[in-house]
Amino acid sequence: MPDAETDNSSTTAVRFEPDERWVPADMRVLGVDRRTIAPTLAVFALAVVMSVVLPIINAKVPYHDVVKVGDFIELEGGVTFVPEVGWGIISGVRAGQPPLSGEYPATATVEQGALRFRVHTGHFDGDANKLLDQIETTSGAIDRGRGVHVTGAHTTIVTDQGKGGATARVTGPHTGGVIAAFVFESRGVEAVATGPSDAGPEPTATALRMIRSISRLGEEKR
Amino acid sequence: MTTTTLADLDRARGTALDLSGWGRRFSFYQPRNCAFWGYLVLVGIGILVYVSRLAREYDAYGPAIGLAVTSFAFYAALFWWFTQYIDHYAKLPVKLMVVAFLWGGFAATGAMAANANDAILALYAKLFGQVWALNWGAGLAAPFNEEPAKGSGLLLLIALAPRHIRTAFDGFILGAFIGLGFQIIEDISYALTSAGSQFGANQIEASIGTIVVRMVSGVAAHALYSSIFCAGMVYLLGRAAEPRNVGRGLILVAIPILLHGIWDSVASIAGPSTSALVGLLFAVVIVALVIAVRVYKLTVKREQDLVRDVMAPEAARDVITEAELVAVSGNRKARKTYRKSGGSRRERKRARYVLNAVYGLADELAAARGADTERVRFARAEIGRIRAGVPPPPQ
Repeated sequence: MPDAETDNSSTTAVRFEPDERWVPADMRVLGVDRRTIAPTLAVFALAVVMSVVLPIINAKVPYHDVVKVGDFIELEGGVTFVPEVGWGIISGVRAGQPPLSGEYPATATVEQGALRFRVHTGHFDGDANKLLDQIETTSGAIDRGRGVHVTGAHTTIVTDQGKGGATARVTGPHTGGVIAAFVFESRGVEAVATGPSDAGPEPTATALRMIRSISRLGEEKR
Repeated sequence: MTTTTLADLDRARGTALDLSGWGRRFSFYQPRNCAFWGYLVLVGIGILVYVSRLAREYDAYGPAIGLAVTSFAFYAALFWWFTQYIDHYAKLPVKLMVVAFLWGGFAATGAMAANANDAILALYAKLFGQVWALNWGAGLAAPFNEEPAKGSGLLLLIALAPRHIRTAFDGFILGAFIGLGFQIIEDISYALTSAGSQFGANQIEASIGTIVVRMVSGVAAHALYSSIFCAGMVYLLGRAAEPRNVGRGLILVAIPILLHGIWDSVASIAGPSTSALVGLLFAVVIVALVIAVRVYKLTVKREQDLVRDVMAPEAARDVITEAELVAVSGNRKARKTYRKSGGSRRERKRARYVLNAVYGLADELAAARGADTERVRFARAEIGRIRAGVPPPPQ
């Protein structure tokens, strides 16, 4: 009587199969498996298009969205500012032209050559000085003194709307500028203007004009 | 009328094992394989980019990073378990799943799609205006960058494991792992962005909302998109166990791009109405899940047939019953029917154990490529022991 094992045994002989590292002699090019070259090149080509070609194309295409007389930018929470005429809008949208979602973005940036002005808004509990301290702490922790960071004492700044805020100088490698912080109820606003450190007094005056134009819709002029 | 002999069944088993690649060991280290080096370079760049960001921001957003990494690690573990759970049949090696996960997490994000997204969003803003870019930029950039970036990983994986990735279902499962890696790394990045939304203050409160939303919406996000996309890629390329089907492949590649585009544009489509937004989000998730289930059912059929071919000789030799063969090579309903046929609760429980033992035998047979090894004989004996209700030998 055959035992159970013999009953269950299959008669198929197992063919030897080498592991993945074995490359047939007729498939080698300089020792490499030539069947793997095409898919690898295809993936690399895609990576180069995504990480090199597209950013280069983007860098070559100029901005045409230039600030005109009467334009003002609106951000999340009804925060607005008046950008300088002739500057380019890098991010952010004009007041009265909200996205379809109805939510204005939290950040807007305008620039003119090497000069850049960026406004960011978000929830914040505290006053303007506390906000400036918080920004200093966060940016200091990220940059560790290497990037653009707050220097010098806080001074007071008042917007055209009559809102008081805190301001300080910022410096970085070959960069200088000014930062300002305001808190409208619990809506914090950070405005940073930067440019070459040897740019002279004119850019500072322009930056201060934009900072003073910051206001919040619904807040009455004091 | 033709009669199928045991020899025919054994030959069919051998063919099924050869075709499926089931049970084969996977070796990642393949220095003569270009895909190995390509994978290392791109994943290495992605890791460098991501770790640099975490290291740079750790001092500022340490608590939020800790919360996000911990939360999403548990979330990833849950998804990992689920994806492995649905891979009942010709199982892929775990090492291959890890390789897929790392591709999605690092190469597809930091080395590829993130750069392209930034560039294309900026180009849209320059060409069509800031408002247009805010409305439609994400929906028309991310799907066309992220889906190919993730899917391209499957091309390298096929070059690394050509004998393992043989069916559209293999693409479906590996796609899910690629997408899961992408999703987890992207979710942590979103949580970090939220941590900075209040100027770095209240970062836990600021990021926790994002973490919860990303977890809930993640049910029908990157893992799902990539599983469908990669199943489509296998149909487009054709594999030994999956004949090329260009039409089906194109449809499956297009579906996740469309779903992803709608998902990223949902706020613009819904407009300012919150109820419309919630309704639309819910509808997109449901549609995506329904499509994923249909693609699962479409692709799994081939795997079920392979399992049937591998296990049919065991049924012919009375190692397993015909009912067990139907259950082990069938869907969830077939397994449930088999378990319920047990009658009493005790018998149903035993039926479940028997089924697990049959799956164990299938894996052993695949590892032995159908040969009668000691492990295969032991696995067969285990089925008999459990069926007879004999307890295991004392430890």
